[in-house]
Amino acid sequence: MIPVVALLVGVVLGVWLDPSVPSALQPYLPIAVVAALDAVFGGVRAKLDGIFDDKQFVVSFISNVLVAGIIVYLGDQLGVGGQLSTGVVVVLGVRIFGNVAAIRRHLFRA
Amino acid sequence: MTDRGGRTFTPDFLTELFRNPLDPGYAAAAEQRRRNAAAGRTVAGWRRPSMRVVSVLTLVALGFLLAVAYRQTVAAEPGRSAARAGLAEQIKQREAENAALTARAERLRAEVNRQRDAALSGSAVARLRQLEAATGLGRVRGDGVVVRVADAPSNADAVTGAGGTNLGRVLDRDLQDIANALWSVGAEAIAINGQRLTSTSTIRAAGGAILVDFKPVIGPYEVSAIGPGRMGRRFEDSAAARLLRSVAEEYGMSFDVRDADDLTLSAATEPQLRYAVPDVEPSASSSGVPSSSGSGVSPRPSGGGR
Repeated sequence: MIPVVALLVGVVLGVWLDPSVPSALQPYLPIAVVAALDAVFGGVRAKLDGIFDDKQFVVSFISNVLVAGIIVYLGDQLGVGGQLSTGVVVVLGVRIFGNVAAIRRHLFRA
Repeated sequence: MTDRGGRTFTPDFLTELFRNPLDPGYAAAAEQRRRNAAAGRTVAGWRRPSMRVVSVLTLVALGFLLAVAYRQTVAAEPGRSAARAGLAEQIKQREAENAALTARAERLRAEVNRQRDAALSGSAVARLRQLEAATGLGRVRGDGVVVRVADAPSNADAVTGAGGTNLGRVLDRDLQDIANALWSVGAEAIAINGQRLTSTSTIRAAGGAILVDFKPVIGPYEVSAIGPGRMGRRFEDSAAARLLRSVAEEYGMSFDVRDADDLTLSAATEPQLRYAVPDVEPSASSSGVPSSSGSGVSPRPSGGGR
């Protein structure tokens, strides 16, 4: 319950404050979102598995977002930014799918 | 899935990724907790609630991130499509402007010619007319030939592009060859699809389109030339015509040459002086015709390096 409320509070804050993202950071926003989603689905699955750990969740969230951003930044500097962001999205996408499949098994037994 | 024991081989990275998407950290943390509980130790009391708070804050940050990303994407989209529509609109508007200005230039040129004819003596006018006709700056009339080339009918699927590349397409090189061959057999004035060629005209390709003097021309291409009576036959004997004929036979491109009587070729657009400036300032005293240089909107091809 509390996590959902916290999520909603964050959304409301984002809508209400409407911060302007510096243009230098804009390319990393989608990647950051995908990385954050990976951490969240990992957390949800761990919760359903009964092994959720706050510290693990926080650390994985922050490191996911940072590492994904750094990889894409590095790629941009090397001239392969597009390919590396595709790579990041594929890897994180696979993880998200795997975790969602586990969550689905927990929820629907199917 | 995570507790798949007894594996005797090391799976490669992708297999591992697909099989075990959860961070092993959760399992490790749970294991640690279980061991602590079994040993009767309690986790340091202050850590668990504070971690819970940090976790909640992380979720707030996540919601914030989602909202910001969403708003960013939504805000960027109309900007992008508006920019595209704006550019298309600008192109259309400039094209219309260009056509209007060309028409105006044509009118003004006729006016200038009339005034000049009135001011100059007969022989000077005749000489000027000759020079203008030769350089492409004046409208000319006469008998000549019309060379017509067209792309082979394409059998490629318009949507998928399947069916192979069409080898029978007219290239800018073909038009260049035709124009050069026509000059060499004595043509005095040439126009491609009504676009008069001058000594500085360019025939180039940009992407799939052929540009004559930076204006796109589309097939079928008609190269009209005014010249001596035997020009058509001599052109047929030229290397360019023989080459095009063989290409036409081989790849289905159409190519034909016919004599035409009483062709009228319009004047070329005024050449743009890049380095030279007129020595004599035009006097503003004569007549009430607005000076064409005063309109100030003459678009200059930017960066079109020749």
